[in-house]
Amino acid sequence: MITEEKRQELLERLRNSVIQYDEDGAKEASNEVVELGMDANDAIFNGLVSGMEEVGRLFEAQEYFVPELLMSADALYAGLDILKPHVRQLDLGVKGSVVIGTVEGDVHDIGKNIVKMMFDVAGFTVYDLGRDVPLDKFVEEQLKTDSDLVCLSAMMTTTMVGMKKVIDDLRAKNPNVKIMIGGAPVSSDIAGKWGADGYAKDANNALKDAINMVSSLKKMKEEAEARKKG
Amino acid sequence: MAETRTMTPKERILKLFAGEKVDRPPCFSGMGNATTEGLGRFGYKFAALHSNAKMMADVAASTYKLTGFECGVVPFDLCVEAEALGCEINVYAHLDDILYPTIKRKIIHNEDEMGISIPQDFTRRGRIPLVKEAIGLVKADIGGDVAVGTYVLGPFTLAGQIMELNDLLKLSFKKPEKVGNLLDILADAIVLCAKEFEEAGADYITVREMGATSDVLSPRVFKNLILPYLKKIFGQLRTNTVLHICGKTNDIAPFMVESGASAISVDQKNDVAETRKKIGSALLFGNYDPYNILVAGSEANVRQAIRKCMDDGVDAVWPGCDIWPTVPIENIKAMMDEVFNYRRLA
Repeated sequence: MITEEKRQELLERLRNSVIQYDEDGAKEASNEVVELGMDANDAIFNGLVSGMEEVGRLFEAQEYFVPELLMSADALYAGLDILKPHVRQLDLGVKGSVVIGTVEGDVHDIGKNIVKMMFDVAGFTVYDLGRDVPLDKFVEEQLKTDSDLVCLSAMMTTTMVGMKKVIDDLRAKNPNVKIMIGGAPVSSDIAGKWGADGYAKDANNALKDAINMVSSLKKMKEEAEARKKG
Repeated sequence: MAETRTMTPKERILKLFAGEKVDRPPCFSGMGNATTEGLGRFGYKFAALHSNAKMMADVAASTYKLTGFECGVVPFDLCVEAEALGCEINVYAHLDDILYPTIKRKIIHNEDEMGISIPQDFTRRGRIPLVKEAIGLVKADIGGDVAVGTYVLGPFTLAGQIMELNDLLKLSFKKPEKVGNLLDILADAIVLCAKEFEEAGADYITVREMGATSDVLSPRVFKNLILPYLKKIFGQLRTNTVLHICGKTNDIAPFMVESGASAISVDQKNDVAETRKKIGSALLFGNYDPYNILVAGSEANVRQAIRKCMDDGVDAVWPGCDIWPTVPIENIKAMMDEVFNYRRLA
């Protein structure tokens, strides 16, 4: 067991490494977590993710922009790669899986990758289809993997319209699947009109929305299990 | 209600660029405005336009002929310069759906490959000659009546086409001098390309630098890293020019003016009334939402949005991006009608 003082110190270092996009710092602190036998789950959520939340706040305040966000994500992954094999039980507890990708015609994947990172952190199985993904592929992959969630991303107005087709197809084949859409041209209006369950207009909102989506999935599962028991 | 003509749309636009007073804002664009209606007239597929000068020109001119929209603009995609630099593009010829071409294969794969040089025969490569030809064809068709425009990419946006955007963004922060060198080379390539289009008779050229929006990059990075190369480009062009950046632009609007472009263009995320205060009488084009309003909105939504643009003080009613082809022709007509009549009724 490590002392509370040491635990706090390591959490602070992990958090700061992410905020200051310091990959080496994240690796060093993560290695120490493993060596000292500290709970990896604690280190991920109260260290790395806590740092990422602060990055989100800085992004919202326009102190950070996309380059900083990307570098912070690199630092988070540097720590996560070391910590993940040592995770025993995940806090968020949902054993979910998600299909994610950028729709055909769109080669922008930064927003998509940020959302993917949150699912990685939450312990989801992520089926990343990449970018410029043919629309049918989303439906095919969802059916094949029976994923709980499908995330569609489009950076440009000119490709956003393709998302409606995917949503209609998914709904027709699996009415229960949760669908999240994201990207600069997306609005709550469009998400509502097209029947998506969630939307995110930028990387930071995607981050928040992905967290919300994960907790709402968790709730759904709990309710389903409660019904089964009852 | 149609308006009584006192001058051609082209004369109005050229007067506006020349700094003269005009009776009302023109209603045009520097970006793509193909319509499925126009495509249907000729029985063309969108994917086929990109590699055929005549088809490109036919569709570019059709928007004016169908709706009175006051320009003809070619090309319709954003890959012309990248392709001429050696990238491979995908026009999605296998699909019936409308998709804009994208870059399939980039030419810079890592940091060490950033010291590229412009091919000797750059302006004869890819589709630069084809776009040049199309400009001539649009001019011959409708150029007596309306202004004919074209566009090139800004250096940062072009850099994001020829290398991984992810890497470019991080390097802008970690190694700005390296990115600066690349932007310098690309600025030269852009000038070479734009000069060809000038020669073909383009009345105005829009430089599209959407990669440098404040949604992505800080205004400080824009000013230090990108603005110098935009200045380099605008300093060498002789025709009328527009600098277009979409997304958040309120903080960088004064820098956009400083770039030396004849006019700046912003999208619906810009608070135009606020920007007007900052930039004084500099020409400002914008800023209706080309999808949510013009394509997906009702006629009443369109009229309201267009009135707001004019109330906020745009010098030209102009979309925030390419107009998505499925736009209802009636909505463009409602927009034109609003521009024709609003000020006069008020």
